[in-house]
Amino acid sequence: MTDLWNISLIISRQKTARKRYFDTFQLEVNPDEYVLDAVERVWAFHDRGLAFRHACHHSTCGACAMLVNGVEKLTCITSIRSVTHNSGKLKIEPLRNFPVISDLVVDMSSFYTNLELARFTQVATLKDASLPYEKEQLDTTHERLVDCIECGMCVSACPAAHTSEKYHGPGVLAAYQHSYNQEKDQFLLEAVDCQDGVWRCHNAFECSSVCPSNVDPAWRIMNLRRIIIQTRLGRLFKK
Amino acid sequence: MDGNISKPKVQEGVWLWLLKVLFGVAIAVLIAVHFIVNHLVADGGLLTYQDVINYYKIPGIAAMEIAFLIFVVIHALMGTRSIFLDLNPSEKMLKIINWGMLVLGVAAIAYGIWLAQVIAGR
Amino acid sequence: MENSPSSSKFMRWFDPRYRQVGTWAFILNRVTAIGLTVYLVLHLFMLGKLAQGPEAYDSFIALAKTPLIKFGELLVVAAGILHGLNGIRITLNSFGVLVRYQKQIFIILLILSVTAIAYFAYFMFFLA
Repeated sequence: MTDLWNISLIISRQKTARKRYFDTFQLEVNPDEYVLDAVERVWAFHDRGLAFRHACHHSTCGACAMLVNGVEKLTCITSIRSVTHNSGKLKIEPLRNFPVISDLVVDMSSFYTNLELARFTQVATLKDASLPYEKEQLDTTHERLVDCIECGMCVSACPAAHTSEKYHGPGVLAAYQHSYNQEKDQFLLEAVDCQDGVWRCHNAFECSSVCPSNVDPAWRIMNLRRIIIQTRLGRLFKK
Repeated sequence: MDGNISKPKVQEGVWLWLLKVLFGVAIAVLIAVHFIVNHLVADGGLLTYQDVINYYKIPGIAAMEIAFLIFVVIHALMGTRSIFLDLNPSEKMLKIINWGMLVLGVAAIAYGIWLAQVIAGR
Repeated sequence: MENSPSSSKFMRWFDPRYRQVGTWAFILNRVTAIGLTVYLVLHLFMLGKLAQGPEAYDSFIALAKTPLIKFGELLVVAAGILHGLNGIRITLNSFGVLVRYQKQIFIILLILSVTAIAYFAYFMFFLA
């Protein structure tokens, strides 16, 4: 029987009538449980008014992404042990760079719409679903769900997305790269070849650092840059 | 629905970015030259007025320094512009920033060329 | 709505808390860029003293030998080395080169830079 821990959950609250504030809850938890379990327990036994998103509880849906002690985490797979200690604190806040609807729930609609504009497909051949630098020989007959779970953690961590709504953001740019890799459609390159597209990225690599799912958006943005430069220089010299 | 991405302004950004990066590389090379030459040519470096005058008499030096100035000024202005872009300016504000950068750049380079010619002529 | 991206959050660029090595590199790059640009303006202004003749220039050089100014110059050298090396790292990455090793490359260039800066400091303060 594992020793239980006593921790404080300090949760960001925001309802329409009030400015943002923090509520503190004391919980007794099994440290090998997940942060999402703790949040859910707060909702179940302490405050039914707490708004938060969760669905699959196994890192496939991307719904439960939140800031835990200042860092983006997928809370269903983040064990309490990995982010705090006995008598420690867990500060839970909504993702950055998305408007807050209520408490921990943010408005992801423009993110999803932009992914659709990028013609993001959730299924691809084994080869196309993986990053090119992963050395395994993958066939093109079998398919799988692609890595990106559309959690939005990359956008939350990105410093450029922090000040600009117009910036496509790492998740969307990664989607464009994924689509271009499959379709080779020039239109996709043109859509990101702009000031608010790949050229806005400041190489902080924070997106790849927080991605829970091996998408490596920073690598994909650099890949798009290389492809765009090659294409344009190629066009210049073909004349 | 359009999402919130702005319609791309006809491939704006790539050439400015490429210029910034290529000039950056040029600066990395020239700064080594500029530094070495400035500190090794005269005894202890160009620390007197006369040393500088003599330095500019060497053929090619004025041209090298002017090229260096052009690379640095343009790289610095484009970098500063990038910082301004993160402040999310309106289209009108951006036009003012672009114009301001252009004026500053031309002024700085003109000043540098004038100064180099004055020194070379002494 | 609150928590939306906004230009009022601009200064958060410089907050390295909770962030990884890549963000540190970016913050360093931006800070050194601003420092070097300020120096550029000062340097161009200083060179204008050459046009005013030997007295103006030589008296300025005398000022430049004071420890405070020398320390300022050391900062400029430091900024130049860091910004230059990091810039090369960013350039390589943006052409798709060595992207997966960006963290390691930054650590290496940081060590190289600190070594070079220490060497310059020694030169400027103990030999010159």
